[in-house]
Amino acid sequence: MSFLSEVLLDDKFGPFVAFQEALGFVPNLLRAQTLLPRVIEAQAKLESAVRLQEGAISRVQKERILLIVAAERQDTYCVAAGNRVLSSFGVSDQQIDDLLNKHGHENLSAADLACLQFCLKLSRHAPSVHSEDIQALRAYGFQDESILETVFATALAAYRGILSVGLGPEPDFGTRKTTSRRVDPPRGVACHAPLPDPHGAAQKGPYLPAPYLSSKTFSIVQKSHGFVPNFFRSQTLRPDLLEAELEAVDRILLPEDVLTRTQKECILLAVSAANLNSYCVAMHCNLLRGLGMSAEEGDQVAVDYHLSTLSEADKALLDFAVKLGVRFTEFSRQDILNLQTFGFSEEQILECEVVVALNNFANALQMGLGIEPDFEPPLIPAQNKVHLSAATSRPIERGLVTPSLTEVLDPDARLVAEAQGGKLEAFEELVRRHSQLIYRALVAILGDPVEAQDAMQDALLSAFKHITGFQGRSKFSTWLVSIARNTAFQRLRGRKEAESLDGGECEEDREFRPRQVRAWQDNPEQCYSKSEIRQLVERGISGLPAKYRAVVMLRDIEQLSTDEVSRQLGLSVPTVKVRLLRGRLMLREWLSPHFTTRATS
Amino acid sequence: MITCEEFFLEFGDYLENRVSPEVRKELELHVSQCRVCQVLYDSSRKTVKIVTESGSFDLPKSVSDPIIDRVMARLRAGPT
Repeated sequence: MSFLSEVLLDDKFGPFVAFQEALGFVPNLLRAQTLLPRVIEAQAKLESAVRLQEGAISRVQKERILLIVAAERQDTYCVAAGNRVLSSFGVSDQQIDDLLNKHGHENLSAADLACLQFCLKLSRHAPSVHSEDIQALRAYGFQDESILETVFATALAAYRGILSVGLGPEPDFGTRKTTSRRVDPPRGVACHAPLPDPHGAAQKGPYLPAPYLSSKTFSIVQKSHGFVPNFFRSQTLRPDLLEAELEAVDRILLPEDVLTRTQKECILLAVSAANLNSYCVAMHCNLLRGLGMSAEEGDQVAVDYHLSTLSEADKALLDFAVKLGVRFTEFSRQDILNLQTFGFSEEQILECEVVVALNNFANALQMGLGIEPDFEPPLIPAQNKVHLSAATSRPIERGLVTPSLTEVLDPDARLVAEAQGGKLEAFEELVRRHSQLIYRALVAILGDPVEAQDAMQDALLSAFKHITGFQGRSKFSTWLVSIARNTAFQRLRGRKEAESLDGGECEEDREFRPRQVRAWQDNPEQCYSKSEIRQLVERGISGLPAKYRAVVMLRDIEQLSTDEVSRQLGLSVPTVKVRLLRGRLMLREWLSPHFTTRATS
Repeated sequence: MITCEEFFLEFGDYLENRVSPEVRKELELHVSQCRVCQVLYDSSRKTVKIVTESGSFDLPKSVSDPIIDRVMARLRAGPT
């Protein structure tokens, strides 16, 4: 009996049949998840693609990886299961003991040893994996597909390991006698390799080539995320593995019947942050923004969710998830009982555990493949990054990753403090410094330069009135822009034909397709004077619908990054990208008659 | 070769120079063989360049200074 209730599923339940056929038994790790059959289906699909068939590396090589990572995690359930499977492939007890114990790798080739060394490093200290590790594998003759499978097998070991700890399944077989439960790394491998600076330039990825696959392949994430992250695009070398992973996302993360999407994204964010995975942190911050959470709150969940405005129950859920995902050696059945006192059902606890498992799977893949960020990392002050990297070698405790969003380095900080103390000269200096930004924020919404100049006075007075309420949770310039935006919105509300900045994409937008297809001049800007061009552009931008105008103004006129635009406007990055493209295409339509070959000849 | 529809799906990231080398290769191949997408890409790139370099919505100091001066005078005068 495992930690959670089990229900009886038909013996013909597809995943059970698949395991029975492939391994000769149905693992208790799967039976422990019968409260939610869809998560068993997700895991079975992953295991089937990653583990249960011959690939670029053999099944024995894959099982060795699973076993050595399980042993390293002191996971008796997975070690026992791995023993049994390797035995069924004809690997002798002696060879398995050799694998699990130090100084006993005579039977392994140098390439196999290098592979296991890599897997242990990825499992233990994922942030320290970099391109040289991949080069080392190549030097031993590993092809790109073999390396990809090796990374996937290690990630799968992490997935299984989390569930083994969190569910406490009965062993499938009696534990076979081994001289030690714990395995030492292969001979000659430093146990704690020095960590490179995670913010240095060494880790440039992606490490493996990723052939083009049509966006249709990614329709599941396109629909749920609003875009296709590099995370998925970097795995196209093996469409079968990618497909299994996308299906896991579909069955685990997207349903809303147990935990909500927001709860799951918070789990992914908090555990990724504790795993020091800045890629996944940035991704989940953005997805949370798309689900309606403010950028500041998302950052706060990443840095220390205890100080966020989440409910006490949700904070307890994240405590549970982080403990299971990062400090798993301390995890016990008591943690489940504690979480139940906050009102969480067994189904919700199971789903939380599976989300943590999938998270650690994804974190391992990202680090192992060196996947490049889609977004800028959230605002985490430099001094906290130092804490984060130092924390890799020891368990992360509450309070270790101290939140100090108020300490975000802001060049305006000193003047702001003085202005908050009532010093008018400091306030004047601040508004002169940012007058252009304020004005453009007003134009972006109002669309009319003259009205924007008129509104500027109101915005500045409002900023002074509220400056003592500014708490430094964002840059001062960001706050100032939000004041300007509110001022502009108040004016908009006074207009009869109020335009919405937040309106969803209507059918007409989705169908937007370029109409002007006549070629442009080689150097179109040379056909008009600078002031004529400025007037053309200003008229074009002013004529855009508000939601596109705001994005184009900030990205192309103010030249903020896409991520900064999303923060300023409180939109998700994918939404910003869609609106930016449409805004630009509308401008192209507007400018085309002036710049095509016929117009200017 | 990819279709125009597939090209359009990647178009935003292509303009932003945010596609992987593999995707870029496919897009470039498409552009080299499809006149409509070639015009679309070329003119969109030029649009972004023109817009970003236009200096639009610059607020001259001669306009912003009097506004700020008026506000500061009002603040110095204290609550009315």
